[in-house]
Amino acid sequence: MARLSVERLTKRFGAAVAVDGLELAVREGELVALLGPSGCGKTTTLRMVAGFLPPTSGRVLFDDEDVTRLPAYRRSTGMVFQSYALFPHMTAAQNVGFGLEMRGLGAAERAAKVADVLKLVRLSHLADRLPRELSGGQQQRVALARALVINPKLFLLDEPLSNLDAKLRAEVRIEIRTLQQRLGLTTLLVTHDREEALTMADRLVVMESGRVRQIGTPKELYDEPADAFVADFVGRCNILPGRRESETHFRTEGGLLLPVAPAADEHKDATAFALRPERITIGFGADGEISGAVRAVTYLGPQTEVHVRVGDASFVVIRPTPGDDDRLASIKPDDIVSLVWDRRAPRLLPQIS
Amino acid sequence: MALLVVPACLLVLALLVGPMVLMFRISLEQFSPTELMIATVSPDNYVRAATDPYYQEVILSTLGVALLCTALTLVIAYPAAYWLARLQSGWKSLVVIATMFPLLVGNVVRAAGWMALFDRGGLVNQTLLAIGVIREPLALMYTPKAVVLGIIAVVLPYMILTISAVIESIPRDLEDAASNLGASAMRTFWRVILPLSAPGVAAGSILVFVLCMNTYATAVLLGGPRFKMMAPAVFDQFVRGNNWPMGATLAFMLLAVTMTFTVLGSVVFARRYRVR
Repeated sequence: MARLSVERLTKRFGAAVAVDGLELAVREGELVALLGPSGCGKTTTLRMVAGFLPPTSGRVLFDDEDVTRLPAYRRSTGMVFQSYALFPHMTAAQNVGFGLEMRGLGAAERAAKVADVLKLVRLSHLADRLPRELSGGQQQRVALARALVINPKLFLLDEPLSNLDAKLRAEVRIEIRTLQQRLGLTTLLVTHDREEALTMADRLVVMESGRVRQIGTPKELYDEPADAFVADFVGRCNILPGRRESETHFRTEGGLLLPVAPAADEHKDATAFALRPERITIGFGADGEISGAVRAVTYLGPQTEVHVRVGDASFVVIRPTPGDDDRLASIKPDDIVSLVWDRRAPRLLPQIS
Repeated sequence: MALLVVPACLLVLALLVGPMVLMFRISLEQFSPTELMIATVSPDNYVRAATDPYYQEVILSTLGVALLCTALTLVIAYPAAYWLARLQSGWKSLVVIATMFPLLVGNVVRAAGWMALFDRGGLVNQTLLAIGVIREPLALMYTPKAVVLGIIAVVLPYMILTISAVIESIPRDLEDAASNLGASAMRTFWRVILPLSAPGVAAGSILVFVLCMNTYATAVLLGGPRFKMMAPAVFDQFVRGNNWPMGATLAFMLLAVTMTFTVLGSVVFARRYRVR
């Protein structure tokens, strides 16, 4: 396994800039996720790392080797495609063996390696099936095996879970992560699914409009987002535009005064109040500093989501679903409630850094 | 639902199956210069057509020209079909129309144009003579080569469009995947693109082969009086020789040879590439 370094990588399509001076380093054995909305440049970046797309400028390095000009077929990366891209005319075993064949391995050695890796993904019994005779989950494991068997310098995952149903997705997520850690695979994952990124990655790169917004561990990004975009993209967030009024309060554009704490590291252009919905507690009656009417209560099993209208702003509150004897269990639309949070919980962020 | 195919079936029955049954009957009759034909049922015409060296040569040269044209067309069409299938520009529909454009020009019109260009007194020879490159006019026309080139120019669009439609259905991801696994462009072609486009190659080749076997105008106009292919030979029997039984016989032999090679080709191909 190798380290991956990406230096000032830029890709322009005509006048449009898809990736703009991207800097990125993935340590050996680390899983880094590129996270962002569609069109943010994450897939373009992955394709440049794989060698499918030549960059307009910048460099891609595996360890200290500059591979920017190396064609894809000589880069030795193992990629799992969103569509899996299994060869439909080859059996599972032939698909897995393709990379070994291209490397000139003899039939016997190839068969042994294919058998090993198929065992690793628990598909030994389906080796002779064609892709169309396999379920989505099985096809996905063939794609994994095919990428792993060539002993790649870099493991590349392009939205690998998006074609699986929700239940399977959670399982495969853990399976890939376990495999990746056990084999020490240096991995670049591209996804637009924040849950996928948060649960699988050692570090996340949040991208928008071809630029990196923030790089950090899942916890760093969730708790200390650099700007309102990141705060919103890595998790549910109450974001209200406005200005700091004083040491202790933030005034929203709608005129609400919200309690906050002074912060030394605050950005000087902080124009957004950001507060995670699970950091708010609900009190009854209008006796708190912030109060409003309940607009909707949504039961989500382990959690309950409460939407509260305060002035012209709307807050989302997420609480563990209360037991039957809890007063919160009887909450209903039009009830007047007050919202309380620790002053240190909100963060004041710039809209764009 | 079955009613939906009735009009098509009626048309085929009336205009294809009917005449064929009639022709087959005629092919078993005996030619007579005075009475047109004498009613019998005998395989004599088939025996004669199969043993007569003249007809043997016509059949063989027809088959040879058709196979050669099909192979050359395939080789010329494939790269163009690939390019067309992978073309992403907004010009694509224009390119498709341009590909089909030759089909809009009638074979006779086209061949007549070539005569004006390549005949002994045509533009090309006159120009070359005038600038002194050659002393004698070149025999560009009325050769088997001219026929082969002429036929290829006519059938090329069929091959390109058929193959291109199939290549378009091959996801690009597969090419990226092959390349990711270490396959150069050449190996990706042989191991992934070609096998997956095999149905298109088969369909295009069969279509083109059948068209080549039945070439009429191009063969007559570019082949000249001495070069004979089957379709003109059939026409000659009916119209010039007034020999309906022999004309019908040759028509059925052409059909039999065409079908044999088509079926044979399909079977070999299906086995090689597991086309379903």
